[in-house]
Amino acid sequence: MTPDPIPVNPVSTLECRTCGAGAPVDEHFCPQCSRILALGRHGDYFSFFGLPRKLRVDAADLEQRFRDLSRKFHPDYYYNAGPTERLASLERSSYLNDAYRTLRNQALRIEHLLAIEGLPAAKSEVGTALVPPSLLEEVFALNEELDEIREAREAGGEPGELRARLERARTPIDVKRDEHERRVDALCATWDRQIDTGDTAIQKRVTLESLREQLFERKYIDNLLAAIDREAASLGARAG
Amino acid sequence: MSKVVGIDLGTTNSLVAYVRDGVPEVIRDASGDGLVPSVVSLGEDGTFFVGREAQRRLLTAPSRTVYSVKRFMGRGIDDVHDEAALLPFQVAGEPGGVVRIGIGDRQFTPPEISAFVLRELKQRAEEHFRDRGEFDFEVDRAVITVPAYFDDAQRTATRDAGRLAGLEVLRIVNEPTAASLAYGLDRRDRGIIAVYDLGGGTFDISILKVEDGVFQVLATNGDTHLGGDDVDRLLMEMVLADVPPLRPAETIQAVRKAVIQAKWDLSEADEAEIHVEPSSALPGGIRRRISRGEFEQMIAPLVERTMQPVRQALTDAGLAPAEIDEVVLVGGSTRIPMVRRVVAELFARTPHSELNPNEVVALGAAVQADILVSGRREMLLLDVTPLSLGIETLGGVTSKIILRNSTIPASGREMFTTGVDNQTSVDVHVLQGERELAADCRSLARFRLRGIPPMPAGLPRIEVRFQIDANGILSVSASELRTAVAQAIEVKPSYGLTDEEVERMLIDSFEHARADFDARLLIDARNEAETVIHATEKSLRRPDFTAIAASELKPGEPARIEAALADLKLVMGGTDREAIADRMHALNHTTQRLAEVLMNRTVREALAGRNVNEV
Repeated sequence: MTPDPIPVNPVSTLECRTCGAGAPVDEHFCPQCSRILALGRHGDYFSFFGLPRKLRVDAADLEQRFRDLSRKFHPDYYYNAGPTERLASLERSSYLNDAYRTLRNQALRIEHLLAIEGLPAAKSEVGTALVPPSLLEEVFALNEELDEIREAREAGGEPGELRARLERARTPIDVKRDEHERRVDALCATWDRQIDTGDTAIQKRVTLESLREQLFERKYIDNLLAAIDREAASLGARAG
Repeated sequence: MSKVVGIDLGTTNSLVAYVRDGVPEVIRDASGDGLVPSVVSLGEDGTFFVGREAQRRLLTAPSRTVYSVKRFMGRGIDDVHDEAALLPFQVAGEPGGVVRIGIGDRQFTPPEISAFVLRELKQRAEEHFRDRGEFDFEVDRAVITVPAYFDDAQRTATRDAGRLAGLEVLRIVNEPTAASLAYGLDRRDRGIIAVYDLGGGTFDISILKVEDGVFQVLATNGDTHLGGDDVDRLLMEMVLADVPPLRPAETIQAVRKAVIQAKWDLSEADEAEIHVEPSSALPGGIRRRISRGEFEQMIAPLVERTMQPVRQALTDAGLAPAEIDEVVLVGGSTRIPMVRRVVAELFARTPHSELNPNEVVALGAAVQADILVSGRREMLLLDVTPLSLGIETLGGVTSKIILRNSTIPASGREMFTTGVDNQTSVDVHVLQGERELAADCRSLARFRLRGIPPMPAGLPRIEVRFQIDANGILSVSASELRTAVAQAIEVKPSYGLTDEEVERMLIDSFEHARADFDARLLIDARNEAETVIHATEKSLRRPDFTAIAASELKPGEPARIEAALADLKLVMGGTDREAIADRMHALNHTTQRLAEVLMNRTVREALAGRNVNEV
């Protein structure tokens, strides 16, 4: 296996604030005195759960790990402990909750992987005029149709008819979304295989770049669907 | 070790419960009553009345008697303008500040009023443990419940109330979640539970997933201003529409009492009468019949208002109504048949209500208290924050940092920098709510980050860390990353008390404590004496009393009882508690033989009704 050249985590060990012993960064309890460890600057949700950095996650297994770790960290169980352990319990529980929320959702999981692999998704990309090339045609058609429906609604058009038009306008976007999901699933499978076979950093990088593109596309599709939902709500409110 | 109790601090009633040998039980008074009305009254002479005592004064001293104070916890005067109009007591406060309640020439914040109720519960629990002969009867720690949809200011106000009452609040627990704990005791199997909690003043819906003893809240929603109080208000408005507009506080309270009775009656009967006795302000009195159909038509919009939060919670949990395995009803207002019907229809299953809906929250709080102190790990509660937490950014827009329905504890970070060269402080406005504009969200606090090392604009990297603890309460810390200087934070809660204010109130309450304590002992003595008087009179009125007296009592004994009874009644109205206690003991002593005779008869009668083999 080739060693991973991408910087992973600057902190490699933790220091137990109770007994002073050192511990590997993914340990939760001190190997020496078995007290709960302060979190430090942990950054990898996968390793925190004891999981490899794979994108296909068994939801039931993840949930079981979440429950098990909750039972170990939760502040409820540290009421009689000293302030150091209480703080550690609070930090670890918060981090666990954030990690679980992130890993159980595919889009957030991919985003997190990109971040820890050194390819953070730029926040400002969303909502800008930049349309993913794969969606150009559909976006153009949808925006035109949405404008027309809005105008018709404001002119007092029949809501039932407009709703049907809206449904028809939605169909191509749904199709795009399904295609998109299949592509993402395939990329996730590729990534997981590369982890197992130990592909070169370059090959992995290509997969990650593609995933980042897909993430961008996903946000764009979600925004389009949200725009349709908003129009549907306006129609519904008027009908009611 | 001192005892740790669970407290349900309700809008209308409050309760205290305790886990004994693994079983939670409500702590009751001598007459078996577990409810302490959340009512506080201040007498002309400075005596405080709490609970039933205060409730009796709703009619006689309405302007000095405060109820439903939970609705004002953590609120500003602007929030409560509308409802203050129908209240017989004075609600005031500076614009933008906390609500203040005026009684006579004194002013109280809602946490101070709530602290009276909490002290009453604390005393009730301590008396209970003392009566059981327990060496450690002191109660100085508690788990207190709040509506799941309470925001940070309302939770903090509740914790302040606990501190003022001399209780360390180990945990603030959400009411629906507490209820699910009480229900989950003997059923550890997996499933999805919906808890529908409609109380006196608040509505909550929580969706939980239970597995391996872990109670994980998936989503919660609600309305902190929707409950039985609103039903009462609709009925009052209907009745008062026929009453001349000049209404003294006494009339409003009399009408309120009458409509509440009618509301209760309508849970059992198809028709009820709202009956108000004639008074000087209302010479004709009121008699008005109301049918259940009429009532349901009137409250339908209120019941419908609970459906929107229910749907939102289901959406947030990603579930359809049919995926809910069990539905639990909590809160006195779920006794209304229409509420039960609507909930049953939505989820297409019969809701659980085996446990008393008035008591289930306190029982759950006691279970949580037991988990905290015992270190038992078979059960764990994972709750969520009901509202998103954010900060105000450029243009008055909210930027969310911790999303609603995030499992707590939860944390979030946000980076700040400076806009001007050598700027040494940055103001941060913290918000709670779902709306896009800061002005539409709830203002929690304003922070000032100070002591930033002078640098060119935009260079400092100040990391502000928001931490929501397991109580759903926020704390904030900050540091400048380039210089690693921790930042001082000045906190100005928007609708809360500063630590200094709470300290000052604590000192004030110690100064009043002596007088309060004396007043309290007098009330206790009166209550106890009243119980004895009541029991004695009941025995004397028995149709078979003459026969019993003739056959089993000594000659002259009935006369001595009558005399002792009259003696006690004579001092009841006074303020000499020693005299009341003495004469009560005298009466007790005189009636001892009669009590034994009656007890033996009761036992004999009970046994006579049974087959010999059964005994």
